[in-house]
Amino acid sequence: MDGRDRSSSKTLQPPAAAYLELISSLASPKSFLFRHPPRSTPPNPKPTPPSTMDKQQPSSFQQLEKLGEGTYATVFKGRNRQTGELVALKEIHLDSEEGTPSTAIREISLMKELKHESIVSLYDVIHTENKLMLVFEYMDKDLKKYMDTRGDRGQLDQATIKSFMHQLLKGIAFCHENRVLHRDLKPQNLLINKKGQLKLGDFGLARAFGIPVNTFSNEVVTLWYRAPDVLLGSRTYNTSIDIWSAGCIMAELYTGRPLFPGTTNEDQLMKIFRLMGTPSERSWPGISQLPEYKPNFHVYATQDLGIILPQIDPLGLDLLNRMLQLRPEMRVSAHDALQHPWFHDLPQLQAQLQQQMAAAYGGMVPPQQAY
Amino acid sequence: MAANYWASTQRRHWLFSREKLAEIRENFRERDKVAHTQFPLPDQRLLNIYFSQRKRSELCPPLTMPTELIKLGKRMSTRQQALATAQVYVKRFYTKNEIRHTNPYLVVTTAFYLACKMEECPQHIRFVVGEARGLWPEFIAPDVSKLGECEFSLISEMNSQLIVHHPYRTLSELQPELSLTSDEVALAWSVINDHYLTDLPLLYPPHVIAVMAIIVAVVFKPSQTSFHGSAAPLASAMRDGGMNILAALGDKNGNGPPPRIQRLIAWLAESEVDIKAVIECTQELVSLYEVWEQYSEKHCKELLGRMVKSKNLDK
Repeated sequence: MDGRDRSSSKTLQPPAAAYLELISSLASPKSFLFRHPPRSTPPNPKPTPPSTMDKQQPSSFQQLEKLGEGTYATVFKGRNRQTGELVALKEIHLDSEEGTPSTAIREISLMKELKHESIVSLYDVIHTENKLMLVFEYMDKDLKKYMDTRGDRGQLDQATIKSFMHQLLKGIAFCHENRVLHRDLKPQNLLINKKGQLKLGDFGLARAFGIPVNTFSNEVVTLWYRAPDVLLGSRTYNTSIDIWSAGCIMAELYTGRPLFPGTTNEDQLMKIFRLMGTPSERSWPGISQLPEYKPNFHVYATQDLGIILPQIDPLGLDLLNRMLQLRPEMRVSAHDALQHPWFHDLPQLQAQLQQQMAAAYGGMVPPQQAY
Repeated sequence: MAANYWASTQRRHWLFSREKLAEIRENFRERDKVAHTQFPLPDQRLLNIYFSQRKRSELCPPLTMPTELIKLGKRMSTRQQALATAQVYVKRFYTKNEIRHTNPYLVVTTAFYLACKMEECPQHIRFVVGEARGLWPEFIAPDVSKLGECEFSLISEMNSQLIVHHPYRTLSELQPELSLTSDEVALAWSVINDHYLTDLPLLYPPHVIAVMAIIVAVVFKPSQTSFHGSAAPLASAMRDGGMNILAALGDKNGNGPPPRIQRLIAWLAESEVDIKAVIECTQELVSLYEVWEQYSEKHCKELLGRMVKSKNLDK
């Protein structure tokens, strides 16, 4: 191809309106399988070849302070010069040896498909000569920082915990319905805005689970939130790994400290077993076949999670126990977790939260245009 | 292969009507009549055969026995999927770019490289360039940064919409439901492989393609040997008796087809799959196999070579 005429910066996106529309994916058929055939043939959509008009230039954004540095990207706060809207600008470093990083490619392409209120929005991708800039919806902080600044020694109040868990599970359920595993859920990847919304971010390790499920690398998920089946070397993991992470996060919301802060793979497993009990072939058929399984694991008895989480109510504890099942197939699904009775009083709690927030902002509702 | 097809970018942005596709191509011709006269190219399907055959044999393991692949583990089928994804990328790219302004050898190589990243079977850039240079030394530069640059523009031209839904998954999901034999699955699988040589991936949703492939496999049952490269048996089988059976698909009271096929027809009617679309796909496939008979590797190579060399597209 002729590379010479491609040096101008170039946007990838259709005009703003096209991506700002909320895709009603949830209302459309969940699957194209015929077990639930659509009543009529889905309309052949009018082809809308992506427009090259309305190009966004990197200069359309004022670059503000640096927000963080990831493995393959630097994130800045930015401001849209035209609208004043705050955004997060993720600058991807290109590597001459490997082209565009796989993690970036995966993240961008998944974000193009996944549009949901509990998933951080990708507004635009800007191509310049030698870098990629992803323009994301601006979120104030990640959950880790939020806990450090808002919580009482990191602990959050009941209403906030319930609201965050509900949003987290909604985001996870949406990913799973769309056959996407996040694989790297942790407080640093959950983003919070001033409206008290929580959204899933950082899909760099996410993957689509189509046909091949046993080729996954087992080197995913930050150690502390990593599911025991992954730690034991299983390569056929599925959606349940995200549920384990969600369970770890829920406990952390109560205590302000990570539930299983392991230092190595082995140590991580031991920290889990010390609390959840050491599994055996009896409690987990097939476990002895897993690559990292050792018959001489120290045998711990199962502890009551309530002891380390005195603040949790019985219903919350029940849900947490369903998420933190050692055996992956025993873990509750995101969809079922959302139906759990623990969430039944969420609407009332949310009304209270809103009042609190209004009070915190001097009786005013936070400004809307920032989002 | 991820996410929901109905809400996907594939359905929203990369599904064309035949008329639209023809219009796009006509516009390319209008815009650069000189190049079109000066550098005639073979039928697009023949070019696709040219590129995919080379790639199939050299860059990828043999693909004839999907059931074996499934047994062997999914590593190979991941690569099959990457190959299919690459073919779709090339098609998408050439709905936005005139082929005569590009080095198709580089585009095909890059599409493969990018598809491998997307399907999680990444290949090192040096390996891919090395393999491509082994195949087409005169058209691929040793400089790996060319591939990186081209990847960048592929991503850009496709608006980062890189997730492709393939018919393979529908096929494996329907196998138990329709009690397909492993021979039928194998045949349907190769029909799906072949459909990437046509415009079908830009024209129809993957489940329609999968149903078409299943019908071809069940109804026509050509000889069990793989028909890659020699499509004649299937083409003639489809020409001879097949179209009658296809016609019967629309007529539920027809008393011709054997019970096995009647069951398939009953299922089809219930599934509300667009039968007209399925028949159109079948016809497209028949015409592919007819065009295939004219295929000449030498001819493709010459015309492409003349174009790339005289326009310095490989530089």
